[in-house]
Amino acid sequence: MPAIEVQRQMLPMLGSPNQGARFYNPELPATEPFVPGHRTCAGCGPSIQYRMTSKAAGDNTILVGPTGCMYVANSSYLCTPYNVPWAHTQIGSSGSFTAGVAAAYEAMIRKGKWKGTFPNIICEAGDGSASDIGLASVSGALYRNHDCLIICYDNEQYANTGIQASSRTPYGGMTTFSPPGPKVPEAKTLFPKDLARMMAAGHPHCYVATASVGYPIDLMNKVRKALNHKGAAFMMIYTPCQKGFVYETPRSIDLGRLVVESGLYPIWEWDPEKREFDYSFRPASMRPVSEYLKLQGRFGHLHAEHIATLQKFANQQWKMMNVAIPEALIKAADAKNLVDMASAEAAAAVAQTV
Amino acid sequence: MSTKGTHIPDWLQVPFAGITPAPSQKGQDLFPTGNWRAIRPVYRDKMPPCNNACGTNEKIQGYLDLVKRGKYLDAYALIKEDMPFPSVTGRVCYHPCEQACNRGKYDEAISIRAVERFLGDLGQALPKDVVKPGKPNGKKVVVVGSGPAGHSAAYQLARLGYAVTILEKSPKAGGLNRGGIPDWVLPQNVLDREIERLVELGITIKTNTEVGKDVSWDELRKNYDAVVLAVGLINPNSIRAEGEDTAGVHYGLPFLRDIGMGTSKVKLGPRVAVIGGGNTAIDCAREAYRQGAQEVTMITVEGNASEMPCVPEDLHDMVEEGVELKHGLACTAILGTGKVEALQLHPAKFSGAINASPITVNKDAKPERFAVDNVIIAVGQHGALKWLPDEFKNDKGGIKADRFGRLGSTNVFAAGDVVQVGQGQPLMVVNAVGDGKRTAFNVDTVLRGEPLQERMVAIDVITDLARMNMTYFPKFPRVQQAMLAPASRRKTQDEVIQAFSEEQAIEEANRCFSCGTCNACDNCYLVCPEPCIIRYDRSNGLYKILVDYCKGCRVCIEECPTGCLEGVPELDFDTGVVRMDTAFAITQGLHGRQAEELRNLPDRPAKDIG
Ligand SMILES: Cc1cc2nc3c(=O)[nH]c(=O)nc-3n(C[C@H](O)[C@H](O)[C@H](O)COP(=O)(O)OP(=O)(O)OC[C@H]3O[C@@H](n4cnc5c(N)ncnc54)[C@H](O)[C@@H]3O)c2cc1C
Ligand SMILES: Cc1ncc(C[n+]2csc(CCOP(=O)(O)OP(=O)(O)O)c2C)c(N)n1
Ligand code: SF4
Ligand code: SF4
Ligand code: SF4
Ligand code: SF4
Ligand SMILES: [Mg+2]
Repeated sequence: MPAIEVQRQMLPMLGSPNQGARFYNPELPATEPFVPGHRTCAGCGPSIQYRMTSKAAGDNTILVGPTGCMYVANSSYLCTPYNVPWAHTQIGSSGSFTAGVAAAYEAMIRKGKWKGTFPNIICEAGDGSASDIGLASVSGALYRNHDCLIICYDNEQYANTGIQASSRTPYGGMTTFSPPGPKVPEAKTLFPKDLARMMAAGHPHCYVATASVGYPIDLMNKVRKALNHKGAAFMMIYTPCQKGFVYETPRSIDLGRLVVESGLYPIWEWDPEKREFDYSFRPASMRPVSEYLKLQGRFGHLHAEHIATLQKFANQQWKMMNVAIPEALIKAADAKNLVDMASAEAAAAVAQTV
Repeated sequence: MSTKGTHIPDWLQVPFAGITPAPSQKGQDLFPTGNWRAIRPVYRDKMPPCNNACGTNEKIQGYLDLVKRGKYLDAYALIKEDMPFPSVTGRVCYHPCEQACNRGKYDEAISIRAVERFLGDLGQALPKDVVKPGKPNGKKVVVVGSGPAGHSAAYQLARLGYAVTILEKSPKAGGLNRGGIPDWVLPQNVLDREIERLVELGITIKTNTEVGKDVSWDELRKNYDAVVLAVGLINPNSIRAEGEDTAGVHYGLPFLRDIGMGTSKVKLGPRVAVIGGGNTAIDCAREAYRQGAQEVTMITVEGNASEMPCVPEDLHDMVEEGVELKHGLACTAILGTGKVEALQLHPAKFSGAINASPITVNKDAKPERFAVDNVIIAVGQHGALKWLPDEFKNDKGGIKADRFGRLGSTNVFAAGDVVQVGQGQPLMVVNAVGDGKRTAFNVDTVLRGEPLQERMVAIDVITDLARMNMTYFPKFPRVQQAMLAPASRRKTQDEVIQAFSEEQAIEEANRCFSCGTCNACDNCYLVCPEPCIIRYDRSNGLYKILVDYCKGCRVCIEECPTGCLEGVPELDFDTGVVRMDTAFAITQGLHGRQAEELRNLPDRPAKDIG
């Protein structure tokens, strides 16, 4: 019996949101695979990301959710907000479960047991799951190149268990496992694991990209690119958590922009064909890290020298992206020019267009 | 997790682990998370400052939004609700809207007038106008004067179904649009087309018909159900200097009027002086070059150019054309035997803070003799109202009307410059149009026997950019209208400022923030984490928030670029979601029912509640 070709969905890209000076979102897909009534906190960044990702993917989608807020808060009491097939997996087995779903569909289609186009198979793992507990299984699925998309929705901590430090928690970030004190005034001392680069470097045949809820159309198009890519894809998406970051809920999208504008979350794509990084994404302006930090309670304890350390880190990221660093940001990497977070309101806002 | 001891409805009886069935909206109905909310987002459109500043309150934001989407005809129809001749104001208006535009605080104001002209020209090209006369109501109204105020009043009255007659003393209709504003600002054929449109609406225009000469005040009142006096200010003011009657002295208004009507016999010598510092003086100075003058000098009492009561762009264009300025001087005598030879100028200044106040002339200083061949005096004008009973005249040379434009308790109304003079607002076409429009509505109210009422709408003009989200708007330069080169302008009646192309109109309309008014950008819809903002059609203001689910995070409010979403404390609402002690309920719709029951409490006897 001849094998049946797998028909893929090949989702079209969404047009540019801006025509000239105008702000107007492109026509968005009508589908709503993610519906209200879930119990994530008000303003939850991961939920915003879920809404955008699932809208971009459409109805022919299967979602996989390892333990984390997006599972615990969403699927208790026998109902979930997912209007498409959805499965919960153990926190460490996100990659293996997803790989299994993908392999199963491929086989079923090949054998004629499943009619229709290949579904989008998306795993939505938290950073605790993707960068710590489930790292091995995610890497395995990527390496074996199963046709799926694994997303790390990155809220930079274990949120669901009450805010513990993960390997994605930034330097200086306060969590219940990294409290600031007289001995360790900066709270977390280690820099975050560069998970997305690790995935690109270690699995160069995969499509890898970073995104942020601050840039919805970019995010949605990357999700579609990742789904259109034949083989495995990985995305790391910045999703602020108001409970852990301690900010006012209306700021969720704003933080998603500020983290990129401050250079702390570089947005890029890894092109598996050319085997190179694409750093062409540019935010509208460049800002000192203090503008991002001062909105969040988790950084409220930082001293000038810690802020300078974070600014140095950000400047390195700009350099990596081949962006010339303005004088103001070089100055901001020197603790002499900074004030402690406690008086950060006084920190002068320096915005500069790239 | 165990399900022991929990009642699970049949339709939810599924195995716990592994793939759960695609859960339904039904399942989610169990959790009306709206009861977490303390602040409710609500959509409330606000007044954009441009609409507010426009003398006739054109829906500027609205038509710019339609232009953005290529819906030119709809845009034209929208502008025509308030403005009979966008092709005219698109050329001549002093654009108070642009001065008020929020974008001016950000980079550069929107070139609203240029887009308006684009739409006006589009309307002119239509074989049939979009506006139709109203169903005839059998009543007759006469409008005296065919300037902007009369034009606008007649237009609106015809749309309301009145039989309208316009009486105009000049040989051609148009008022100052024809006999004041020069052809190189407003070509005659553009105005002609707009007058044709009035006739197409069924309006009768009788030119060469002067009230006070051909028709009497009593006839007016007897033959019509109502009268609108829009007679403007047609007599020029004098400077009360010796020798003002010398040959070679002209007054700005008749000078321009005769050129406009095609009846001018004026021949200018090489050196011309213009006295006055306002817009009319500027038009006279620029026109003087076009009438053959070699050197034109403007003499103003104002101490410098920035104090002149005129539109800065027009002043700039005048200087570009080569007009010289002399400031701080008053003409105290016109010298010459039989013909103007020179002006006698004394240092002078306004004695009050504003330049309409009396002038103090320093007669002790040595006067300057300024040699000229002609002089044009343009220092304002007043009404010609001999035929009007004195009780209706005011001391500013205008008509005394109440705030509805009504003359006492008569069915006579007045509109335009003749009412607005001396009222503290600048006299300009768009203000006359707005006054004409409002007066037409007031006439209608009175003729329908209803009491006149101030329109008491509370308006929230959104002028604070912090209430909008500027991150969505990249800085973008204003699209500039092309202009004739200054040297070539001096010899021609061709239009100085050129029209926008379609691409330019769209590019400029795209710059509009849509202040305070939803423009269906879909942003709130996209960023809600629940998501509980829905819309079936993507259209302005058709978004709905499912209050049963909205948790009140206010992300949508923060991210609405236009600022039309706002947060209202939940306690201000007496209907909607009722807060519960519990965050969830296992039976479908319990919250909904409970809320409904609680809402109906007063209607039922106490013992029935259970
Ligand atoms: C030279 C000049 C240039 C200007 N340029 C501009 C400009 O560029 N932009 C701008 O916004 N504003 C401009 N203005 C101001 C603007 O033209 C006026 O504010 C506006 O025209 C007032 O309209 P109105 O209908 O009240 O009066 P008018 O336009 O003066 O119309 C009054 C009409 O009534 C007629 N009339 C008067 N008495 C009688 C009678 N007894 N019987 C019958 N008919 C009569 C007159 O002949 C005239 O046609 C300018 C004014 C002048 C003088
Ligand atoms: C093997 C295992 N260890 C620990 C847990 C407890 N646990 C449940 S949710 C969670 C946090 C997961 O964090 P992350 O993946 O970042 O998701 P988030 O909650 O931040 O959305 C943890 C540690 C678990 N369920 N399984
Ligand atoms: S704790 Fe953070 S990630 Fe979890 S639901 Fe709340 S906001 Fe979302
Ligand atoms: S930006 Fe647009 S809506 Fe806002 S004031 Fe200017 S023209 Fe009006
Ligand atoms: S975000 Fe856009 S669509 Fe939503 S209310 Fe504001 S303008 Fe309208
Ligand atoms: S974004 Fe959604 S949940 Fe948040 S306030 Fe707006 S409608 Fe409510
Ligand atoms: Mg996490």
